[in-house]
Amino acid sequence: MDPLTLFTLQTLNALSLSALLFFISLGLTLIFGIMRVVNFAHGALFMLGAYVGVATQTASGSFLLSLIAAPLAAAVLGLAFERCALSRLYAREHSAFLLVTFGLALALTEAIRLIWGADARQAELPDSLSGIVFVMDEPFPIYRLLLIGAGLACALLCWAGLQRTRLGLLLRAASQNPTMTAALGNDVGRVRAAVFAMACALAALGGALAAPLLSASLGLGSNVIIDAFVIVMIGGMGSFLGTAAGSLLVGFAQTFGNYYAPELALGMTYALMIAVLVVRPGGLFGRVE
Amino acid sequence: MRPADPRLVLLLIALAGVLAFVLPGHATTLLTEALILALFALSLDLLVGHARLTSFGHAGPWALGAYLAGAMMLSWGVPLPFAVLLAGLGTAALAIPIGWLCVRTGGVTFAMLSLAFAQLGYAVVVKWNAVTGGSDGLAGIPRAGLPDVLAGREGYHLLVAVFLAAAYLVAHGFITSPLGRIVAAVRENEQRAEALGHDPRRIRLTVFVLSYFLAGIAGALYAGFAGYVSPELFFWTVSGHVLVMVILGGAGTLIGPMLGALVFFYAEHELSALTESWGLFLGLLFILVVIFAPRGLMGLVRRTS
Repeated sequence: MDPLTLFTLQTLNALSLSALLFFISLGLTLIFGIMRVVNFAHGALFMLGAYVGVATQTASGSFLLSLIAAPLAAAVLGLAFERCALSRLYAREHSAFLLVTFGLALALTEAIRLIWGADARQAELPDSLSGIVFVMDEPFPIYRLLLIGAGLACALLCWAGLQRTRLGLLLRAASQNPTMTAALGNDVGRVRAAVFAMACALAALGGALAAPLLSASLGLGSNVIIDAFVIVMIGGMGSFLGTAAGSLLVGFAQTFGNYYAPELALGMTYALMIAVLVVRPGGLFGRVE
Repeated sequence: MRPADPRLVLLLIALAGVLAFVLPGHATTLLTEALILALFALSLDLLVGHARLTSFGHAGPWALGAYLAGAMMLSWGVPLPFAVLLAGLGTAALAIPIGWLCVRTGGVTFAMLSLAFAQLGYAVVVKWNAVTGGSDGLAGIPRAGLPDVLAGREGYHLLVAVFLAAAYLVAHGFITSPLGRIVAAVRENEQRAEALGHDPRRIRLTVFVLSYFLAGIAGALYAGFAGYVSPELFFWTVSGHVLVMVILGGAGTLIGPMLGALVFFYAEHELSALTESWGLFLGLLFILVVIFAPRGLMGLVRRTS
């Protein structure tokens, strides 16, 4: 394989990984931007999405249905959690959120083990998606291209939603000044609940999309959330653009790192994060709190 | 909150130490591990409770101390008490540059920066096979250079209790010292402390290094206790667990986090004996504690007394 072809294929691989990472990171950054909550359960919700996705597909045989069921389940759970636990804690210190979301992550992981067992499960792709296409005469899985498209579509939709709709306006207002937003007659509590539910749904959708590629296993959540943290911190907590840039950076660093310097790849993303935070404590696109 | 009487705390630690000669063997082993975790949580309380720097990378100094002490005892047969102290000092030395970078920030950025350093340690340990044993870790670590009395189960337990008492005295001495008061001043009002001529960054760095020193000692004691070290010691879930211990017990009280460690450890142990899905109940327990006991277990104790 000539270097240019290899480079192209690796770029496509990196883009598809970036797309998956974007789904979980975007929710994390939205939750932080609007609620000032670092959600440690976000990886577990991603994992929940993967499991619900696989289970739905096993039961119904439809991959498409699994992409609907997974975010729905996570949204319901997220909404319940926000109303029952988080909403009681907004007046308190940061550390309170840390403990409750960590507790949720722990409980959710165990609940998943209880329901689906400890073995990893893989989703089967429908025939129409499991094929390959030829990129510069080399075979490449269609599904990875589809992931890139899904990530792109999600990014555009969310961006348009944030910038062009009334709800998006409300979200941005609540992120910048919740007191003023509430004083203008908006129910900030409901905005927070909606954001949390949507962010959970996004993570679960990412999980369901990842299930055919990564398979649903119990370690999935605690591994993927670290990547998401790295992305969100590199991009700047609460920044949409930063999250997109961070996802690309980490996706490319991991894909190319694993190929060209497997010994250093694991440490590279963390070193990248340290470098960014030392130079710009607020992240690339964020503001210092 | 008024700090607990140090004499009472030392008495409790002494009691926990002497329990080794009363309890059956396996219960002593459990208690030894719990006391090591108490020391680990105590070290984090200096950062989280006293300086209000929420570290999410405390697995870093813990694992570093464990690896340093493990390697020293395994390769060169350094006697355990020296290996533990040297590992603590080594961790503290590394904490100077790391802390210098971390304490410029605060809040979530500090938490994530400390997390990144711990994960970097994880990556180094997993990949640097020749020195660290890679993902297998280092096994067969001896309790080097100890007389038989101290190398046994009860003896080692006493040794751990002595280290815990010493660490508590250091931590308590620090927060009641003039320097410790300045740390509190920087925590409460950075601008004012700065106007009084204190450099907030250097003050925070001092706490950071002391906290890493004690965490390194805790990790080193764990290496001697378990007899092996593995990269999992560096993993972020360890940082999460110890942070839960601190907040569960009541951050900023020194004794609270130690009790939190005991409660966490025994809750995990008892629940896992009762049911396979102990994590489910432990997770729900945390959520309930946060909602209904805002200042941790120590807050509950204070309110009822």
